[in-house]
Amino acid sequence: MKSIRKIDAIPKLNGSWKFLDDYSYKGMIHGQLLYSTCHHGIIKQIHFPDGYDLSEFTMVSAADIPGENIVPEPVCDQPYMADKEVFHFGQVIMGIAHPNRKLLREFISNTSIEYEELPAITDIKECLDNEKNAFGRELTIDHRTGKKPDPNWVHHHKIYYTPHQEQAYLEPQGMIAVWQPKDKIMFVRATCQCPFFVKEGVEAIMGDTIKEAVIETSEGIGGAFGGKEDFPNLLAGITSLLSYKSGKPVKIVLDRSDDIQITTKRHPARIEIETWTDPKTKKIMKIDIDYRLDAGAYQTLSPVVLARGVLHAISGYSIPDAFIRGRLFHSNTPSNGAFRGFGAPQAFAAMEAHIDNIASDLKMNPYKFRKINLFKIGDEFPTTQPILEDHLSNCLERVIDKSNYSKKLKEFKEWNKTHKDKKGIGISIGYHGGGYTGNGEKVLNSEVKVVIEKDAIVKIYVSNTDMGQGAHTTLAQMFFEAIDHPREKCRIQLPNTSKTPNSGPTVASRTIYIIGNLLRKFAFKIKDELGFENLEGYVASNQNEFPREFRMNFVQDPSVVFDDENYVGVAYKDYSWAACVTEIYYHADTYQIELTKSWSVMDIGKVVNQKIATGQAEGGVLQGLAYGLCEFFYKPGYGRMHGFTDYALPTTMDLPEIDVEFIHNDSPIAKGLGEIPMDFPAPSVRNAFHNATGIFINEYPLVPERIYSYMQRATDRHRQTQTV
Amino acid sequence: MIIKFILNKKEVSIDVDPMKRLLDILREDFGLTGTKESCGEGECGACTVLLDGKSVTSCLVNAVHIDGKEVMTSEGIAKEPIGKLLIDCFDEPNAVQCGFCFPGFLVTSYHYVKTDGEKNLDKIKKSLSGNICRCTGYQKIFESVMLACERKPLMNANERE
Ligand code: FES
Ligand code: FES
Repeated sequence: MKSIRKIDAIPKLNGSWKFLDDYSYKGMIHGQLLYSTCHHGIIKQIHFPDGYDLSEFTMVSAADIPGENIVPEPVCDQPYMADKEVFHFGQVIMGIAHPNRKLLREFISNTSIEYEELPAITDIKECLDNEKNAFGRELTIDHRTGKKPDPNWVHHHKIYYTPHQEQAYLEPQGMIAVWQPKDKIMFVRATCQCPFFVKEGVEAIMGDTIKEAVIETSEGIGGAFGGKEDFPNLLAGITSLLSYKSGKPVKIVLDRSDDIQITTKRHPARIEIETWTDPKTKKIMKIDIDYRLDAGAYQTLSPVVLARGVLHAISGYSIPDAFIRGRLFHSNTPSNGAFRGFGAPQAFAAMEAHIDNIASDLKMNPYKFRKINLFKIGDEFPTTQPILEDHLSNCLERVIDKSNYSKKLKEFKEWNKTHKDKKGIGISIGYHGGGYTGNGEKVLNSEVKVVIEKDAIVKIYVSNTDMGQGAHTTLAQMFFEAIDHPREKCRIQLPNTSKTPNSGPTVASRTIYIIGNLLRKFAFKIKDELGFENLEGYVASNQNEFPREFRMNFVQDPSVVFDDENYVGVAYKDYSWAACVTEIYYHADTYQIELTKSWSVMDIGKVVNQKIATGQAEGGVLQGLAYGLCEFFYKPGYGRMHGFTDYALPTTMDLPEIDVEFIHNDSPIAKGLGEIPMDFPAPSVRNAFHNATGIFINEYPLVPERIYSYMQRATDRHRQTQTV
Repeated sequence: MIIKFILNKKEVSIDVDPMKRLLDILREDFGLTGTKESCGEGECGACTVLLDGKSVTSCLVNAVHIDGKEVMTSEGIAKEPIGKLLIDCFDEPNAVQCGFCFPGFLVTSYHYVKTDGEKNLDKIKKSLSGNICRCTGYQKIFESVMLACERKPLMNANERE
C-alpha cells in the first residue's frame, strides 16, 4: 500500500526521458506509409508526383517481401501490404523512405492511386445488421435449461449499439529499424506493448534474410491502451524492410491524422438482448444474447476480443437459463483491435442499459432490481464457473451508500417536476477477468529473470512494458517489498527481446496480476533458497556467489480448467469487480449532458501503490465516461474522424469530480487494474440520462445531436398518441 | 533566413527556412526533445513552450515568428525555482503516467503558477484547458498544481519571480 514515487516521473517532466521520436541513429532516414484511400478496389496504377528524384527514395511493396506477407496474429489473415487488391481505406500499399522528412510527406501527399472500385461496407449498422457479413468462428455459451418461458414472465427485447473508440495515446505510433548486415540482425526500437509480438512480426516479413530480430522499447511509451498491442507488428515489419532495402536506419513516426485514420480502434458492437423476467420475484429467468462485433476487413485479434465479450456479456447477474452467441462481422474498414476493456465495455453497455430498461418497465428502483438479480456466492457464470465471492455486491452497496443514491433519486424526481433542465443519477456495474482467457496463461508460460549483483543490486528482467501505467515502479516494488530490500537497490531492465525473457505481452490486465504476483513469489523463493534475513548482509558475506541469476516461470492454478471448444469451465481465476454511480445535469436548451460527479468503487485485491493505482483508475474512468458521452469516431455521412480537431477528447473543462475507492484491499493478491476502470462507467451516464428525462437511448455517445433527434422522436410520438 | 532569439536564457542564432516550425527547430536543430509533437495542429498542447512569457503551441509557430524573441522550453523551466517546485508537486502524488503530455503541462502550469498562482481549482482547470492528457483523467494534475500554488508562498521572494 506504500505510495512510493515513480522511477521515471522526474526525467519525464524535465524532458530527458526518451520517447520513440527522440531517438536518432547515424545516417538515419525517414519513412512513411502510403495507404489506400479507397474502401475496396483493384489498384490500377500509382502516380508519383513530378519534380522529385525517385532515386533518392527507398520504396517497398508486397513484391519486396522476402518472408511472408501475413502479419502473425491469433488469426493470420492480414497482409503487411496490399497486393493488387485493397480491402479497406487505410490499407498499407507501400513503405517509402527519404532522408528529408518534410519532403517525404509532400511526396506522399501528392502521390495518387488509381483504383477500379468495388462494392464496400463502411457503415457500422450496414455491417452489423446484415447476417451475411458474419465471418470467422462463432462462439456460443450454452447454459439453457431447454424449458419454455413461463407465459407470465415479462419479455424484453432490445438492440444496443456501441461505437468505435480511438485510443488516442498522446505519442503516435512509431518505429525505428536498424539493419545490421554483418550479424544479420534487425534491431528495432519500438513504442509498443509487446516486444515479443513485434519480434515475430519482423521475423515473419523478413524470412530467412535475417538471423534474428532484436526488439528494444523506447524508454518512454507515450500511452497505448491496447492501441500498441498489434499495429506495431505491422509497422515494425515495414520499417525493417525499408531499413534492409536502403541499408540505413529508418524511422517511421505516424502523423496524427494517419494514426487516427488507419490504426486499430475499439470494435463497434451490436448487441441484441432478449430477457424474460418473473414479475412476482423480479428475477430475470431467461436470457438470450446475440453479441456482434464489427471486426473490420480482417479478423486479426478480433476472435480474442469476441471471446472476452461473450464471457462478460451477462454482466453481473445470475440468470438460470442463458444463451450467448458471439460473432464477428466483416466491413471494409481498418481492422479493429485491442483497446482497454477488450470487448467487455460493449457487453456492459448493452446489459447495464437493458437492466435499467427492465427496472423502469417494472417500475422498480434500478438499484433494488440489480440487488435481486446480482451474482451470489454459490451461483455460477454461464460457463458454469462458480461464483466464489460477493465482492461485486459489496462494491455496489458501497457506491450506493457513498453517493447517497437513494436520497438523490427522490430529490431529483421532485426537482425535475418544476424545472425544464433535468437532474439524473445512474448506476452501472462491471468486472474483468485478470490475465489471458482460459488456458491462455498456461500456454504463454511466462518467465521472469532476476540478477543479484555483488553490490546487492537486484536487476529485474521482464518483457512487460511501462506505457504510463507505472508497471515498472509497481513490479519492482512488489519484489523489494516482499524481502524488505532497499528501493534504490532494485532496477528494471528496459524490455529487450535478447535480454529479457518472454514474460508475455503487456495486455489483459495481466502485468501486475500475473507478473507482479509471480515476482513477489519469486522474491520469497530466492529468500528461502539462500536462507537470508537481509539480502544486503547475505551478499556482503557471500561475495563469491554473486553475481547470480535466477529464473522462474508462472504456473497456472490447477483450478483453471477451460474447455475452449464449448466455452465451459473456469475462464479466469480472479475477477476484479466494480460499481459506479454518476450524477448528471441535463441542459434542456442545448441538449447537453453535464457530468456533475461520478463515484467508482472497485475491488482490485491488494493495492500495491495507492497513488499509482488511483491515478490509473481515474484516467480509465474518464475514458469510460467519455466513451458514453462524447467520443464520436464515425458519423454516417461524414465518415471517420481525422485528428484531434474532429475527434472530441475530454479536456480539463469537461470532467466531473471523479471519486475512486478500492475495497477489499487487504487481499493477499493484487488483481487486474488496467482495464476494469474503462469497462463499467459509460452505462451510468446513459442510465442517468434515462433517469433524468425518461428517454431511453440505446447507443453511444450521448452527444447533443443524438439527444436532439431522440427528443424529436419522443415529441412526435407524444403528438401522435394525442391525435389518436 | 538567419534568426536570433533567446532560448532558455541563452542567445542563439540559426540559419533556417522561415517557415520551419518552432517545434522542429527545437527538436532537430537544438536537440531539445522535451517538447513533444502529438497532434501537429494546435489541439493537444504537448508542444507547448513559452514565447515572450506566453504559452504557445510550438507546432503552429514558424521560425519568422520567433526572431528577436524569447523562448522557454520544459528543459529550461525545469531549472527554474518554480519549475523545480512544480516537478516535485507532480512527482509527489504520482501524477505522471506515460508522461508524453507532461512537458506541455509543466510549461502551462509554470505560466499559471508564476503569473497568477491562486489556489483556485476553476482557474487552474481553465488555464490548463489547452493541454490534453489521455492517461490521468486530470485529477492528479489539478492536485499537483494546487499543491504548487500552496507552496509557492513558502519560497524565497527572489525565487518566486
Ligand atoms: S502537437 Fe502542437 S498542439 Fe498538439
Ligand atoms: S500522462 Fe499520458 S497523456 Fe498525460
